[in-house]
Parts: sequence; structure tokens; C-alpha cells
Amino acid sequence: METYKLTVNGQPKEVTVDPGTPLLWVLREDLKMTGTKYGCGIAACGACTVHVAGVATRSCVVPVSLIGDRPIVTIEGIGQDPVGRAVQDAWVSEDVVQCGYCQSGQIMSVVALLKRTPKPTDTNIEQSMGGNICRCGTYVRIREAIKAASQQLK
Amino acid sequence: MVCSHRAMLRVFFVTLVACAGWSATPPGASGQSVSRKQTATPATREAGLVAWQQVYSVLTHPRCINCHTATNYPQQGDDRHRHLFNVVRGAGDKGVPGLNCATCHQSANAESTGVPGAHNWHLAPLSMKWQDLNDKILSSADVCRSLTNRSKNHNLDGPGLLKHHQVEPLVHWAFQPGRSRDGAARSLPPLTHDEFVAATRTWVEGGMPCPQNP
Repeated sequence: METYKLTVNGQPKEVTVDPGTPLLWVLREDLKMTGTKYGCGIAACGACTVHVAGVATRSCVVPVSLIGDRPIVTIEGIGQDPVGRAVQDAWVSEDVVQCGYCQSGQIMSVVALLKRTPKPTDTNIEQSMGGNICRCGTYVRIREAIKAASQQLK
Repeated sequence: MVCSHRAMLRVFFVTLVACAGWSATPPGASGQSVSRKQTATPATREAGLVAWQQVYSVLTHPRCINCHTATNYPQQGDDRHRHLFNVVRGAGDKGVPGLNCATCHQSANAESTGVPGAHNWHLAPLSMKWQDLNDKILSSADVCRSLTNRSKNHNLDGPGLLKHHQVEPLVHWAFQPGRSRDGAARSLPPLTHDEFVAATRTWVEGGMPCPQNP
């Protein structure tokens, strides 16, 4: 077991865990931040996406030992960011969510997309969101919400 | 299996170097009476060609060539299948926002989850593609010409290429690729890193000769 000092949503945290523990389980089990979801465990579905130093990151495959001093932002904190707020507002206005299980990961990936590409094309959206799976098939509403958030950010 | 394959390749390499040295010896000359300097020049180019084939055997191993594609995506595994999860190259060869290489690949191998990693994980640029659009590996001559074309290789000369093979973290990763998520060790290139660097040095010192296309 090792002790790690993390910065999560701007707050300092300290956890003592096995170095190989994926960040996802540190967030969910040790820090009790359950907004980030476990989907597949192999980075295939995107439900576990958080931001590490601004990069959308699959927390289910990244051991906590490889985080270092990079700040982490989760779905619980993304609303404090203007882009994150706009995306969450669009998610509500477009009524995107069906079962909702994948949506925290979807939102984290969208925020990463819009921060680098504020006016994404359909191709940009397809490529950036291609790794986020929604079993309810809300993709059409996700696309509309991304465009609505993009407009909001004008 | 891997070890025995590498051992066989080493024997093959040594045999080829020996043959190249033997064939470069002038007729009638005694190996004892001819100075090293006299035989060095013709032998070096031959040795360089032999060494190139060793370099090529590493460059075309899946640990290397999976990220030297001609397409919009990297490959994975020893069968060189298209990278899962709809990963695409992106404008900077590092994926796209929201789905970058760094979305999964960190600065080191993640042994507990089986995701490979090294500093600055990325695809080689398209100018350094060593496959065609059908994922067929280019010939030894074509890869050699590409590697030595300074308009394609970030303007690296021989010493620059040697240094790249010596110090680039992604090159080092190929020789320490870690384990996949099922716990199995990833296969290794046919040479060790030291042997790869030595072969590169011999090739560079031999004038970076490229074989002719068949």
C-alpha cells in the first residue's frame, strides 16, 4: 500500500491504496465520488471518463500510481467550468439522458472536445465521441446537445 | 519460443556478417597479412547492408510497426488488428480531443490494467509510414529509403537516426512492452535494444546502404 496525494476538483485528497489500483476505484471506493461510472473496465465504453490535467482519461485503466501531481476533474466538479456548465445545461435542455449510466462519461468527453474544438463538425463529434458507448442509443440527442452547447459558448 | 527465435536470428546475423566479411576479402589475400584498414572499407558497406536487415526486422515487428501505419488509425497486437475503441490518428498523430492517445496511454506501462505506456505516446507521422493502405508491410528497400529521406524523417542524418534509436522513449518501450491485460507478456522484437543500436551503428557507419527492390 502507498499513500498518494491527489487534487480532485480543486480539493486536496489523500488515499492509501495499492499502487496498481485504477483511478476509477480510488474515486468511487476511497473518495466516495460515485458519479464516475464503471462500465467495461477495459477503456472500451467511456463511462469512466474523467479529466487528468485537462485530458479526457479512462479512469478504469489508469493506475493511481501514474497520476502524479496532475489535477483530476470528475463529473462532480465539471459544472464549475464554463464549458462544463454549458454542456450540462444543453444536456438538460435537449433531454439527452435515457437510463443515464454512460452520461457522466459522455459529458466529460464532450467538454474535452469543446475546449479544443469549440465549433465541432459532425466528423469532429463522431471521432471524439466514437469511444463513448450508449446502450440506450441517445447518440442523436447527444449530437444535438453538443451543437447546442457549442452555440451557447459563442 | 521468443528466446529461441532470437537466438536463431543472432546466429543468422553472425553468420551473415561472417559471410560478408569473407566475401569482401580480396582473392589471394591472406587474412593474417592484410591490414584491418585495407579490408574495412569494402566490408563496412556489406556489413551495413547485413545490419540493415537486422534493423528492418525490428522496425517491422508489431511493437514498432503498429504505430507506423499509412492509415487513419493505429494497430494493436501481434496480429496488427485495427486499434479498438474507434481510435483515430488525429491532426497531430495523438488522437482527437476527447479520445487522445493519452486518454489511456500514460507515461509508463500500466501493469495492473495491461495498457502500454511511455512518454509522449503517439503515432509516427504519415511520412514515416512503413505499411501501405492495405496494412501490408513495405519492402526492406522501401522502408530504408523512407528512413533515410531527410524530407520525411524530421531531417535526421545518420547520427541523428542512431541517437533516435538509442534514446527515444517509444523505441525503448518496444523492448520493454510489459504485459497485456490477460497477464501475458507482449512479444519482443527479434533483437535486444543493445543489439538493435549496434546494428543501427553498423548500418550508419556503413553509409546507410539500402537494398535494391527485387
